[in-house]
Amino acid sequence: MKQETMIDYKKDKKRIDGRKMDESRPLKIEVGVIPNANGSAYLEWGQNKVYAAVYGPREALPKHSADPLKTVIKVEYRMTSFSVPQRKRPGPNRRDQEISKVLGEALTKAVFVEQFPNTEIGVYVEVIDSNAGSRVACLTAASCALADAGIPMRDLVSAIGVGKAFGELVVDLDKAEEDAPDAVDIPIGILPNSEEIVLLQLDGLLTDKEWEIVSKLGINACKKVYEVQKEALKRKFDLSEAMEKKDSKNVSKENISKENIDKKNVEKKEVKSVKKKVKK
Amino acid sequence: MKQVVVPGELLSEERKKLGPNVYVLNGKIYAKVLGITNTESEIAEVVALKGMYIPKRDDTIVGIVNRVVFAGYGVDVNSFADSFIPKKAMRTDLKLGDVIIAKVEDVNELKEADLSFPRKMGDGEVIKITAVRSPRLIGKNGSMLDVLTNGTNCEIFIGKNGRVWARDGNINLLKKAVHFIDENSYKSNLTNAVEELLKEKK
Repeated sequence: MKQETMIDYKKDKKRIDGRKMDESRPLKIEVGVIPNANGSAYLEWGQNKVYAAVYGPREALPKHSADPLKTVIKVEYRMTSFSVPQRKRPGPNRRDQEISKVLGEALTKAVFVEQFPNTEIGVYVEVIDSNAGSRVACLTAASCALADAGIPMRDLVSAIGVGKAFGELVVDLDKAEEDAPDAVDIPIGILPNSEEIVLLQLDGLLTDKEWEIVSKLGINACKKVYEVQKEALKRKFDLSEAMEKKDSKNVSKENISKENIDKKNVEKKEVKSVKKKVKK
Repeated sequence: MKQVVVPGELLSEERKKLGPNVYVLNGKIYAKVLGITNTESEIAEVVALKGMYIPKRDDTIVGIVNRVVFAGYGVDVNSFADSFIPKKAMRTDLKLGDVIIAKVEDVNELKEADLSFPRKMGDGEVIKITAVRSPRLIGKNGSMLDVLTNGTNCEIFIGKNGRVWARDGNINLLKKAVHFIDENSYKSNLTNAVEELLKEKK
């Protein structure tokens, strides 16, 4: 605890892990990782590792949960027992239920729910490893998985955690910063086109001025996340790679094989000459 | 120029004719699904790359009987809602697991399909493909279908709902070809590639 009080971001101008104040952790997304799901995504955000799978639209069960006017998005956020330093008891707890609810509401804003009446869309997000900001990681991954499932959406949902730690406003807090004595943690999720906010929670105290700055920081950071999401979804479908190229690949293979043969011949000759020398 | 778009990506700021899978917000046109768009086209539209079958009027579909009751049969049409065929409409009796082809006569507000002209299909196999990619199996003026029938000597029936029914001929080869089309549906010059594939494997 003594060490923590010594840290002061205003003096250091650098964060504990060496990032700048408005720099987020490295983000990596891959879609289509679970073959049995309609859509899926795997996300790595710093130490956070998250899988998201989407099933549906399908018949809503139990029947009383169905809405004849729109589809119901059922999110299940779950942390594996080994995802935190101290073993988490498996099974849903209060926190899991709350996060599932807010994620579902955020995604409902993005999806054209009225297109699939009387159905449900099952979204299952599993946290494999976590280090603060797992709910925004899950929301980002879930929206990629929904898009991968081909479900009509207004926009992708991009989310990031912003807040205050050690006297400075920062983007994408990690666990050490979240535990700071003056920590404020604000997970924020937006639809990047309209900048409509679909997820906003706040834990801590902020002044009006600080809030104005930090909300702008959050929206800008979300737009960077959006670029990564777009890239991840498009990566699978490379239009420039037409079927004609198959031939050119073969040709290049032949070339390579020819070159190899030439090389081998040269090597053989060399070997022979060496042998001759040895004989001499 | 063809381009891959994600949901919510801006297609056009001008007024254009609206095709499928787009929506308008504040006078601008955005994409609804992950798909391919042609930026030079006069119509703003997105051809979906993924997604499940949503029944539409006049589609022909391949269904599988999954429920038999006194009055008729429940049919799985690969959508989120099952369809129902009354016993009156069928001349022959159906059993669980029987394959039928039918036309979608109407779709109600819950996107359930009313089927008409149901016909029971005999022995054959059903091959699956991503529903939105099934038009690729037919091609322009049925070019791909010609290639598939000539290459495999199968009797083929393609449903709009992502199911292909086939019998006789080289079905294993057809399966490979359908799978190949499913994986490479977004690439151009696919018909020639499939022709080559069928020649190679023959």
